[in-house]
Amino acid sequence: MKNLLKIAGYAWAGACLVVVLVMFAGSEYLSGKLASATGITVSPRYSGGEVIRSIDHGTYKTILHRPVFDGLIGERRDGFIQVEWQPVTALPPLIEDAVDFTGDGKEDFSFRLDTVAGPGAITPRNPSVVALEWVVKVNQGWVARVQLRKKP
Amino acid sequence: MNPERATKVKKVQSRQSPGKSILLALPMMVLTLIMLSGGRIPSDPQKLFIFGVTYLFFNVLFFLMIHTGKTDRYRAVAFIAFSLLFVVSFITHMFEARGSMSLSHEKIILCEVPFCHLVIPMTLIPAALTKTIIFPGMITGGYASIASMFVIWIGASLALGRGWCSWGCFFGGLDDAFSRLLKKPVLPRIDRRWTYLPWAVLLAVVLTAAAFLSPTYCSWLCPYKAVTEFNEVTSFTILVQTIIFVSLFIGLVVVLPLLTKRRTQCSLFCPFGAMQSLTNKINAFDIRIDRDKCLNCKRCMKACPTLSITEESIRAGRSLLSCMKCGTCVDVCPTGAAAFHIRGTPVGEGLNGKRLLFLYVAFLFLAIFAASEIQEGLARIVRLITTGSMI
Repeated sequence: MKNLLKIAGYAWAGACLVVVLVMFAGSEYLSGKLASATGITVSPRYSGGEVIRSIDHGTYKTILHRPVFDGLIGERRDGFIQVEWQPVTALPPLIEDAVDFTGDGKEDFSFRLDTVAGPGAITPRNPSVVALEWVVKVNQGWVARVQLRKKP
Repeated sequence: MNPERATKVKKVQSRQSPGKSILLALPMMVLTLIMLSGGRIPSDPQKLFIFGVTYLFFNVLFFLMIHTGKTDRYRAVAFIAFSLLFVVSFITHMFEARGSMSLSHEKIILCEVPFCHLVIPMTLIPAALTKTIIFPGMITGGYASIASMFVIWIGASLALGRGWCSWGCFFGGLDDAFSRLLKKPVLPRIDRRWTYLPWAVLLAVVLTAAAFLSPTYCSWLCPYKAVTEFNEVTSFTILVQTIIFVSLFIGLVVVLPLLTKRRTQCSLFCPFGAMQSLTNKINAFDIRIDRDKCLNCKRCMKACPTLSITEESIRAGRSLLSCMKCGTCVDVCPTGAAAFHIRGTPVGEGLNGKRLLFLYVAFLFLAIFAASEIQEGLARIVRLITTGSMI
C-alpha cells in the first residue's frame, strides 16, 4: 500500500509538469474550448445585452439592445437600455430618434444627440423610462444608456 | 529536541556538483527553449538579444537553484523581475494605446479591459447562476482575455496550488521585493489574528460582487490598480476609489512589507490568495517538517514571509494551508527538516528528488508565464536607452 501511494504521488507530481506544458502550449485552444463548452458571456450589465433591433436610416443605423434588468436571481426593478448609432463617419451633426424598445408601436423615449459637440438628451414618453445615464463616443459611433425602472 | 539528538541530525546535502547541476538543469534548458521560442528563434537582432537575455536569465537561475540547493533566493530574483517588468510593460502599453494609465469609459463599454486573476473569486457565483462574467473584458482573443486567464488559473491550481502566489502571480513580486529591502524587521511581530483578514475580504467581495453584479474588489480595494490602470477621475466617487488604491498600495505593498519583512498584501489582504489556499488541498506538492530532524529552532517560523508556519504547525509537521511554497523555510532550515514534499510519499525520504520535481513544475511555470512580459519590459527599456522614449 505504501509503495502504491508512493508511485501514485510521484505520478501525480509528474502529471503536474504535463499540466504546465499542455496549458501553455494549448492555451488558445483551451480558452476557446472553455468558452464554448461553458457558454459563458460577458454580463449584459457591461456588454449592453443582446441586440434586438437595428433601424437603418440610410447612411447610419440605430442599434437597440434589449432592456437589461438582469439580477443574480431573476430580474431587478432597475435596469437600462443601450442604444448605439453607427458608423461614426456617416452620422449627421444632429440625431433625433424616436425609440420604441417595447415593440408596441408607441414611442418610449425620444433621443436628441449632437454628434459634433456631444451632449445628448432624452424625453421620456413611457413611465418606465427614468433618465439618460450616459452617452459616450466610441470608435464605431455613439453609445447611450437610458435608465429604466419597472412599474410596480 | 535534546542536544544529544540534535548532534545525530545531519544536514541534508542539497548542493550539487557543477556537472550534475548542468545535467539536472538540461531538461529545463530544452523545455524553456521550446516554450519560450514557440519553436521559432527570433531573426530580428534586437529581439534575438532580448530573447537570449531572458533565456539565459531563467536558466542561470535554475542552474544556481540546483547547484546551491537554495530555492527562494533565486526564485525571488525571477519572481521580482517578472513583477517589475510586468509593470513597466503594462504601463507603457497603456500609454501607447490610450495615452494614460486611466481606463476610459470607451474601453469599458467596448469590453476591452484586460482581465486578471484577482477578479476570479468574484466572478464564480454570478457565472454559476447567470452564465455571465461580471467584468468588461473579452471572453477570448485580445490581450488578457477572460477565458485565457481562467485556463491559466485552473492549470496553476492543479500544478502549484497556492504556489501560484510565489511562482506565478505578476503582482506578488512587488511586495516580495519590498519585504527584502531591510535586513531586520522594524515590526517583527504580527498578531496572527490578522491572517483571518483575507478570508473576511474574500467573503465580503464575493458577497458584494454577487449582490451588485460588479467586481467590487477591483472597484474599491485593489492596491495594484495604482501600478496598472484605474478609472479616469471624472467624479468624486472615482477620486475616492483612486485614493484608496494608492493608499492600499503604499500601505500594504510598500510600507508594511518593508517594516515587517512579510508579504503583507499577499498574506494579510489578498482575497484571491485566500481562495487559492483551498487549492493546496488538491495539489501534489506541499511543505513538510520532519519531526525527527527538527531542532525546534523556529527559524522557519521566523523567516516565513507569509506567516504560514506556527508552533502548532511545526508540531503537526507541516505548513499551514496558506503556504505559498516559496521555499524560504526550506532554505533556512539547518537540518533539512523543512522540505518540499509530494503527497503519498514518506516524509524525510528522497528530499532532493522531490524538491527537483517541484522545481521543474514551478520554475517552468514561472519561466513560461513570465517570459513574454520580461521580454516586453526589456524591449521597452532597450528602447528607452536607444531612443530616449519607452513608447
